[in-house]
Amino acid sequence: MPPTTGIGVYILLAVALLGFGAFAYRSWKLYRYLRLGWNEDRTQHLGKRLRDELVIYLLQRKLFKRPYLIRGLAHAFIFWGFLVITLGTTDLLTAGLAGLRMPGAESAFFVWAVDVFAALVLVSILLALVRRAFFKPPRMHIALDGYVILGLIAALMASLLVFENAGLAAGYLALHQAPPPLAQLLPLPYPAGYAASVFAAAWWVHVVTVLGFTAYLPQSKHLHIVTTLPNVFFRSQRPRGALRFVDKIEEQETFGAATLRDLSWKQHLDGYTCTECGRCSDNCPALATGKPLDPQKIVLDLRDLLLKEGDLLLKDPAATGTPPAHQLATKPEELWSCTTCAACVEQCPVTIEHIDKIVDLRRYLTMQEAAAPPEAQKAMTNIERAGNPWGEAASARGDWAEGLGVPTFAENPDAEYLYFVGCAASFDRRNQRVAKALATILQAAGTSFAILATEETCNGDPARRMGNEYLWQLQAQQNIETFARYKVRKIIASCPHCFNTIANEYPQLGGNYEVVHALQLVQDLIEQKKVTLGAGPAETVAYHDPCYLGRHNGIYEDPRAVLDAIDGVTRMEIEPHHRERGFCCGAGGGRMWMEEKVGQRVNHRRVEQILDAGNARGAQPAKVASGCPFCLIMLDEGVGAKGIAEQLKPVDVLELVAARLDHSRVSKEQPTT
Amino acid sequence: MRFLICIKQVPDSTTRVKVAPDGTSVVTDGVTWSISPYDEYAIELALEHKDTAADTIVSVISVGGPRTKDALRQALAMGCDDATLVTGDGADALGALGVANALKSAALELKPDLVLCGKQASDDDQGFVGAALAEALGWPHVAVVTKIAPSAGGTEIWKETEGGHEVWKSSGGAVLTVQKSAKEPRYPSLPGIMKAKKKEIPERPVAGLEDPVKLEIVKLEPPPARGGGKIFKDGDTKAYAAELAKLLRDEAKVL
Repeated sequence: MPPTTGIGVYILLAVALLGFGAFAYRSWKLYRYLRLGWNEDRTQHLGKRLRDELVIYLLQRKLFKRPYLIRGLAHAFIFWGFLVITLGTTDLLTAGLAGLRMPGAESAFFVWAVDVFAALVLVSILLALVRRAFFKPPRMHIALDGYVILGLIAALMASLLVFENAGLAAGYLALHQAPPPLAQLLPLPYPAGYAASVFAAAWWVHVVTVLGFTAYLPQSKHLHIVTTLPNVFFRSQRPRGALRFVDKIEEQETFGAATLRDLSWKQHLDGYTCTECGRCSDNCPALATGKPLDPQKIVLDLRDLLLKEGDLLLKDPAATGTPPAHQLATKPEELWSCTTCAACVEQCPVTIEHIDKIVDLRRYLTMQEAAAPPEAQKAMTNIERAGNPWGEAASARGDWAEGLGVPTFAENPDAEYLYFVGCAASFDRRNQRVAKALATILQAAGTSFAILATEETCNGDPARRMGNEYLWQLQAQQNIETFARYKVRKIIASCPHCFNTIANEYPQLGGNYEVVHALQLVQDLIEQKKVTLGAGPAETVAYHDPCYLGRHNGIYEDPRAVLDAIDGVTRMEIEPHHRERGFCCGAGGGRMWMEEKVGQRVNHRRVEQILDAGNARGAQPAKVASGCPFCLIMLDEGVGAKGIAEQLKPVDVLELVAARLDHSRVSKEQPTT
Repeated sequence: MRFLICIKQVPDSTTRVKVAPDGTSVVTDGVTWSISPYDEYAIELALEHKDTAADTIVSVISVGGPRTKDALRQALAMGCDDATLVTGDGADALGALGVANALKSAALELKPDLVLCGKQASDDDQGFVGAALAEALGWPHVAVVTKIAPSAGGTEIWKETEGGHEVWKSSGGAVLTVQKSAKEPRYPSLPGIMKAKKKEIPERPVAGLEDPVKLEIVKLEPPPARGGGKIFKDGDTKAYAAELAKLLRDEAKVL
């Protein structure tokens, strides 16, 4: 019973045309801006994309992360309510314009659902308004936009409930078998004759608000209700730890994101989709320690630049606009503060790809402008000349293994596994002990393995994350050629960065291997009883999740299982910063080789978090164990600076295992020696 | 303004140098070669000048065998405009005066306003070629230079002294031998590397150059292996201090 008769239909038609017209005009413009980005193919893996759409979009999976559960549920109710009510709204409009009813629109279930969800949305919206106004979340970007949107939605829901209610009073809805359950609970305070007018007024308010909302949508951050659908669908299906490959790099004319055209259309879609919720910033270790980086701001800066310069770039195909890396707001220091720890990517409810953007901008600074920080340049020169970022003598790479009976591939070409030692464990004295620990464990288990010694070179990860894709490719190719020479198929890495780049990034250059992190292998060996561990003293060990093991590769359980298998060890979680909320040590993204002068050092904050977690449980751990050489270096420095090196000892889990090896049961046959 | 930078290719400072069995040369297998570090600072000094004055031309030259081209390409990648290789049989065996003569004949042709060298090469540490080249050209020579700046009618040259600087001024050609300075030599941009790969590097023959003084290496010896060191453990700190002072005075003879 839409109150549109006679001229009403024309008025509705005019309002609808205005609303949808404004929406279409702005959307077309935004689409053309977006297509300024280069044409990245995101159509592979259809099955996975549909699954993401179901889990991340429809089921709102990423909204229910640990610290955001309640807020996430409130959002989910608004979202699900919106889906139902959008159907109801479509029905209203078609009925009002053409008298057409959607099939099932009058069913008891649909009437019930619209009514109940309208009330749920209204309650959630009121909660959201109260939260914004009185309990402002620390890093949420509060702007008028948010209030306008919430106000519009509240008006929509309120008018919906009123016209349902007045419809009941006027007898329009009484004909149905099942009246809206909540609307009918409300009193019907209309004197006879007024109910029809209230119904008509509320109906018009509702419909005009819907159309106003439609027109306003693409001007606001609320556009995410439209763009999240494609943004989730087209999200990167690369392994999270893999950066985008630059094919035929020697033939390119510019490198990295020199202009807005050098970011892909999907990067721009990310900008449209950002809801400004601030979860990325909330979890960023750089921002938390006072660095100039704010991941949300990077996304929004790029979006704002696109909105500002989009017309200019569309008009003149030769125009380059402001280089995004130079944009007034996005300063190089922001980009260089990133540790690529993926805390932002992990948390983003709408699958925005922060790291890809930061690295694209770094690529421009490093390769195009040669403007990387001086320490980063030094590290890259060292990788070029010595095959390691520290500039240690390449000829000394295998020295750590002297006298340990560890063969090289040249000596034992039939070895089953290559142990890719990595630069840290090859040259850093502290980490050499970790390499030795692993060698001892593998020998005890009778695992057939060999190393490459001087034939190994840096895997390239630091260079790639500093934006030097070219150097990464050179390093990777060199290793891939060496692996091919020895027909290497299986690789063990004790460094999560070596592990990640060989497992997830070498395939981009045709290097496909079965890669395991040492702790995964050791967990297997313990399970298969090839490694048996003797008794030891009781001690509490905190486990620190390395980003490139945990968040980037989802390896949370194996290291924990290894710790749990050690007699006497009580594992402690560094709550609440553990597992997918693990806090970076500060060394990733090439930061290991860059100075950290601004704010608090990330590793110092990490040590404080360990102490806080210890305080919360009433006892401090004796050790903090990790599975990454850089975490170990950073934690060592952190406890040293805090003067607690005696109380809290950073170790690698492998060292704990090696110290407990039950040598009485070591296999007599050792194919590796 | 035109610069001529003379560079030498040396074993990279990250390389562990080993004495060859003949006892008079080093093993070159597995050695990474790069531009001698002070020469890199010389390049950086000229390129910084070019950053501010676009009409600057920075030429780079080296004397050596075919692999020396890699060093020249690296210099081109950093941003030098052109490179010349003086090469041919015996190029590697040329003595310091011979090298200076080779550079002189090139300099007379290229007509630079300033010639820059590193203050010494990191392999033999002689610090001879720059001064010899100045002598051969009949140009003034300023050593341990850390900065140059244009000034009316010439160039201001900052020379490092103990705890400070002397500022010299040159009104014509000069040879400067360059010291390490605060600005690290730049990392090449990728467009720079790609351009450098395609650039032609003209060669000048080494044949017919005068090499009046021949020095012969009689013997090379690696430095003696370092001793084990001493670690004080468990005990009275005061006693350590006394013991340490005694050892430093009597055994190490440094006090």
